Amino acid sequence: MKNTIKNIAALFLIFVFSGSIANAQGWTVPNSAKKKQNPYEATSKNISSGKKIYNLHCKSCHGDPTMANMIPLAPVAPTDLGSQNFLVQSDGEIYYKVNKGQGAMPTFEKTISDEDKWMVITFLRSFDKNKKMKQQVAEVKNPEVTDVKFELNVNEADKTMLAKLSGVTKKGKRVGLQGIEMSFLVKRSFGYLDVSGEDPYTNESGDVQIQFPKDLPGDREGQVNMLVKVTDDAFYGKLEEKRVVTLGVPTDPVNPLDERAMWGTRANAPIWIIVTFVGGVLAIWSVIFLVLFQMIKLPKLAKNKD
Amino acid sequence: MKEETSNNSRRKFLKSFGISVGAAGVVSSFSLIGAAKAAAKKPAEMVNLLTQDGQLVQVDKNQLRPTVNEPLDELQKRGREGIPGKSFVMVIDLSKCRNARKCMSACQNHHQLRADQHHINVLQMQDAEHTAPYFMPKPCQHCDNPPCTKVCPVDATFKRQDGIVLIDNERCIGCRFCIAACPYSARIFQWTEPKDSEKYKDLTYNIEANVPQKKGTVSKCLFSADRLREDKLPSCVSACPNGVYYFGDRNEDAVTNGTTGETVRFSKLIEENAGYTLMEELGTKPRVYYLPPKNRAFEFNGDLLNEENLH
Repeated sequence: MKNTIKNIAALFLIFVFSGSIANAQGWTVPNSAKKKQNPYEATSKNISSGKKIYNLHCKSCHGDPTMANMIPLAPVAPTDLGSQNFLVQSDGEIYYKVNKGQGAMPTFEKTISDEDKWMVITFLRSFDKNKKMKQQVAEVKNPEVTDVKFELNVNEADKTMLAKLSGVTKKGKRVGLQGIEMSFLVKRSFGYLDVSGEDPYTNESGDVQIQFPKDLPGDREGQVNMLVKVTDDAFYGKLEEKRVVTLGVPTDPVNPLDERAMWGTRANAPIWIIVTFVGGVLAIWSVIFLVLFQMIKLPKLAKNKD
Repeated sequence: MKEETSNNSRRKFLKSFGISVGAAGVVSSFSLIGAAKAAAKKPAEMVNLLTQDGQLVQVDKNQLRPTVNEPLDELQKRGREGIPGKSFVMVIDLSKCRNARKCMSACQNHHQLRADQHHINVLQMQDAEHTAPYFMPKPCQHCDNPPCTKVCPVDATFKRQDGIVLIDNERCIGCRFCIAACPYSARIFQWTEPKDSEKYKDLTYNIEANVPQKKGTVSKCLFSADRLREDKLPSCVSACPNGVYYFGDRNEDAVTNGTTGETVRFSKLIEENAGYTLMEELGTKPRVYYLPPKNRAFEFNGDLLNEENLH
C-alpha cells in the first residue's frame, strides 16, 4: 500500500516536472491558438518544401533538427526544433510562436506566408516519433532502386531544360522516379538563383522540364553556370550536376570609368571642362603677356617721341 | 696651367672614388656569399611548425622567412582598379529592420571604428508629422554620380569600375571637402587617434577596408570591398539577423539576402516592392536601394533604451 502511494507520488512528481520542462521557456500560448490544426498533409512533397523553407529562415539559429547544433545565444539558446521536448507542443502552439516571436526569436508573421509556415511545421513533425506514423498519408511510392542518376538535356533554342531522374530496380530495369523535387540553380556572385519555377517535381516517367528565364543576364557569350540537383538529398543521397549552359542573355559589363564625367579622374574629365580650363588659362596668360609686352614697348615709344 | 692641375685632381678623385666603391662592392659581395655559406653550413637548428593541413613538421631555422604581406603598392593598385565586370548594389528592406544594430557593430569591428563612429548607422525616421516612424540603416550610397569625388583636390576619393566609391588614406589630406559635398552624411573624420591605432600600427594599409584608420583622414563605408574580392558578402549584410539586406551584382541581375542566403532577381525585387533610392532629385544615382517600410514584421518602438528593441 505504502509502495503504491510512493509510486503514485513519484509519477505525479515526474509528471509535474516534465510539464515544467516543456514550459521552461515560459512562453504562454493562448488556448485558442493551441487548437489550430495544420491544414496540410504530411506528404513527402510538403515535407521537402518545408525543409527548404526551414533551411532558409530557421537553420541559421536553430541548426539542423535533432542535431542540437544551434548557435549558442545567451541567455536563452535557440531550441532544437527536432527534439521531442519541443515537439510535444501542438501544431497550433508552434504556429503561434513562429508568428509572434519572443526575445531573440524574430516574428515571422509577415515575412513568411502561412502556407510556408505550415510546411515548416509539417517538416518538423516528420521528426516526431509519436505522431509520425499517424500522419503518414498514402502517396506515390517509387520502387526501391539503386544507381539513381539524372540526365540533363538543354534546349538552347527555346531556353528549356529537361532532367530525367531514373534508377535501376531490383529486376535490373531502369525506371523513372516520380514526384521528386529537382532544383535548377544559376550561380551568381554570392549565391545560387533558383530558376526551378513553380512545380519542379518529376512526372511519372521521371522527367521534369523547366523554362529558363528569358531575360536573365549571362556573361559576354550568354553563358551561365548551372547547378542542377535533387533538392532533398534525404531520398537518394547527394545528386547534382554542374554545367555551363548558354541560356543567359549576352551581357557586356559597362565600365563606368569609360565615360567622361565630372566625378572622374583627370584622365577622363569631360572635354568641355578641359577646353574651358585650358582656354581660360591661356586667355589669362596671354592678357598678362600682352600687358608686359606693351610695357616693354613704353620706353621705346618715349625715345621715338624724343 | 692652373686649370690643368684642377682637372687632374678631379680625375684623380674620380678614379680613386671609383676604385674604392668597386672594391667595397666586391668585398661586401664576398662577405655576403661568405655569410650565406656560413648559414648553410651551420648545424641546422630545427623548429616545429604546424602546416595548414594540420601536420606538425620540422623546418630548418635558417630556411625561415617572415611571411610577405601583400605590399602596399599592390593593394593600392588593385584597390583603385576594382573588380572587373561587377556592378555592386545593395537593397535594404525597411519592413524588416527592427534596429538590431548588428550591422553597425560588425562594421565597426571590420573597419576598426569606435562605437560612436559609423560607416553605417541605423536611423529613426519619421518623414512627416502624421506618418509612421521606421528604422532606416544608412550606409554610403556609392553614387554613380558621386558629389564627393568631384571635390577632392588630391584624388584621394574615387570611384572604381565596379561602382564602389573608396577613399585612400595615403593620399587624403583631411580637407573634409568630401564630407561637405556628401548629401547623405556618409563620411566621418578621424579627429583623434583611431581605435587600436597602437595595435595595428605595423599593418599594411588596405585601401579596400580602409584599415588601419589614420588620424586626420576621412573614412567611409566601402561595401567591404576586401570581402567582395573573396566572394563574401559585406560585413553588415551577413551580420543582420532579420534579413534586411540584399547585396549583389546588377550585371547579373541578382541579389543575395545576407541572413537567409536566398538569391533573388534584383529587378523583380525592386519592381514588386516599389524600391526607391534616397534623394534621387539630386541626381546622385545611388547604388543603395530601399524597399518601403510597408507591412512591417514588427511594431515600431523608437525608444532605444528599451531592451526589447535591441534584438
